[in-house]
Amino acid sequence: MMNSDNSWIVAWSDSLGFPEAMPQWIYAAAALICTFCFVIVPCGALMSYFERKLAADLQARVGPNRAGPAGILQPIADLLKLLQKESRTEWNWKENIWLSVHTMALYSTLAVLPLGSMAVLVNTEMSVFLPFWAALVLALGTMLLGLGQNSVPGWFGGIRVAAQTLAGSFPALISLLCTGVRSGSFRWSSLAESQGFSPWDWTLLANPFQMIAFSVFVMSGLVLLAIPPLDGGLSMSDIHGGVASHLYGRRLSLFQFGRFYGFFFWSVITVVLFLGAWDLPVSLVNSLKSMGAHQLLALSELLWLLVKTFALMLLIIWIAKVNSRSRVDQITDFVWRVLSPFSLAALVGSSLWAGWRAF
Amino acid sequence: MNLIKKEILTTDLTTWTIGPYHGSLPAPMRLRLSLDGEIITDCDVETGFLHRGLEKACEFQSWRAAVAYADHLDPECAVFGELVLCLAVEQLAEIEVPARAKCIRVILSELSRISSHLSYMVRMARAVGSETIIHYLLRDRERILDLFELLTGARFSINFLRFGGVQADVTDGFIERVLEVCELIRIRMKEYNDLFTFNFGFVKRTSRVAPISKDLVSFCGVTGPNARASGVSFDVRKKFPYSGYDRLDFETPLGQGEGGVLGDVHDRFLIRLREITQSMEILKQLLDVVPSGEYVNRKLAKDSVVPPGEAYSRIESSRGLLGCHVVSDGGPSPSRVQFRSPTLANLLAIPQIVRGIRIEDLPVVLASLDLGIAEADR
Repeated sequence: MMNSDNSWIVAWSDSLGFPEAMPQWIYAAAALICTFCFVIVPCGALMSYFERKLAADLQARVGPNRAGPAGILQPIADLLKLLQKESRTEWNWKENIWLSVHTMALYSTLAVLPLGSMAVLVNTEMSVFLPFWAALVLALGTMLLGLGQNSVPGWFGGIRVAAQTLAGSFPALISLLCTGVRSGSFRWSSLAESQGFSPWDWTLLANPFQMIAFSVFVMSGLVLLAIPPLDGGLSMSDIHGGVASHLYGRRLSLFQFGRFYGFFFWSVITVVLFLGAWDLPVSLVNSLKSMGAHQLLALSELLWLLVKTFALMLLIIWIAKVNSRSRVDQITDFVWRVLSPFSLAALVGSSLWAGWRAF
Repeated sequence: MNLIKKEILTTDLTTWTIGPYHGSLPAPMRLRLSLDGEIITDCDVETGFLHRGLEKACEFQSWRAAVAYADHLDPECAVFGELVLCLAVEQLAEIEVPARAKCIRVILSELSRISSHLSYMVRMARAVGSETIIHYLLRDRERILDLFELLTGARFSINFLRFGGVQADVTDGFIERVLEVCELIRIRMKEYNDLFTFNFGFVKRTSRVAPISKDLVSFCGVTGPNARASGVSFDVRKKFPYSGYDRLDFETPLGQGEGGVLGDVHDRFLIRLREITQSMEILKQLLDVVPSGEYVNRKLAKDSVVPPGEAYSRIESSRGLLGCHVVSDGGPSPSRVQFRSPTLANLLAIPQIVRGIRIEDLPVVLASLDLGIAEADR
């Protein structure tokens, strides 16, 4: 199961003075915690800042500008404010259970999150499918959270999220198969190796069917995880926030961060599947390897991956800010009638293309 | 046959009470919905949460102070309440209004109409969750509020009209700035149409939703843009002209069923857009030749009393026919002041038009009716 090439983690933790011959699960746990603390959380903070600044620029207003220079500390200020907030007095055990269960299940997917050629912890033929588990768990958790709230927004919000997730998972899964058809494997490493640094080597531009698969994958991901602009289940004005409308303070920040993480990992795997993963120019990789600068290579791969991920996320946010929300029945209708046939066509087309190339 | 019947899954109706305060409601009101799943089967509207005893309060004040109360009839477009009261009193006391004062009144009315329609678009955008356009529209409405501030010193409750005219003459540069704002809004409306009005998602959300039929218009007494969206050509400015509207050349746009059904949410939205264009047309005609002379009837004595009798006046406010019935017993204060507000008729239509729509569309339908609860509750 474990990736054999995790020498950089070992080297890195050795330098911190951990004893030799430490069991591998400790390395794995340390890697997960480090990924969460040093990649996911800063990305969340940065992204919330970028999102607000971008939206402000689009909407002819200033945006955050008080906390720190150009408002860069605004995410920290927001977090501190939410942590200070008093929660409701009554103890809703259902809400606590479902929130913690779905949060734990959600972050368990950190193990399969591909962040670079040397930062892939679980690299099997099933790796690509594991984020689906996270998406479904997120939807299930959101639904049960809503149903347990004893409120109309929670009830309708939960049911709507479940409905659109069920619809979105089919085309997402089918379009994901298209990438595996091209690379011949569903391992993160082989998906990345089948692409290159130049956009012409990306899966996206390999053939027209992959382009369809990419569009379907992104859109169905938005539906699957209820991300704006296709977040009818969460944001319709009749339920004003749905499940989130009855969460306060720490619980709300936990929930919101979970939603950000869903959006983030979906964008990361989209980049890995279609947009050239973490692939740097071959000459740069070779020279870094010959110098023995593995940490530097891992870091540059991570940064390059994050740059592409952020660009994709900002593009989606841009579209979301400008367009209006669709109703959930319109979203599910769109998924079943438009995205699903297109995903099937993309699968058939890319399979034929791969078969023809093999001859 | 029995076998098939057993297979049918029956669900009971659920009820959901929204309000009086809820994010999807345009103003304080309570809706009791019966829901079949997510489909609304019945709706009961309860209002009165914003009742301020405004009509009664007028009876305890002087005639002059009643204008300030009428100003609060609809805080969003204050000038219409003032105008309708002034017209009724002027009719009763046979007070002459100078041409210049009439012109200033119409300028204020049309600016209010544009500002009210812009905030209508904001409420629609908020209902469908389109964030960006809200900020653009509010930015432009600010320009109109700036004009109000320049002329009257206040942005919302302007309290500017007087019996026999207005409080002050237009200041230097006001007319040029009105033309500037008109031009700005004309250019920007094109951008907004591309961004919002003809946005695929917005059209999908609004077309064929909750149409008001012509029968319902006459049954409930719906007036204004909502009635014209359903193809009923009734505009007080045309039928019963006041303040010199008969000398202006403008059209009353009618709904054409572009969304698929005549009088649906999309038609109601488009009508407002076209009315903004017509209002700008009116403003341009007015500003070309602003009559010179007095801005208020100077012959009117400060202590003049309103003779006994009663009068009724009506104007076209941004929401529809706004009427005012004034009764005087010759005393220092009104004996009775009564308003006929267009929103009340729109409220009557709600239960009829929301049957069969999904609750996700309810905020959109409510926003599309342009409800001014302040003037309905009074």
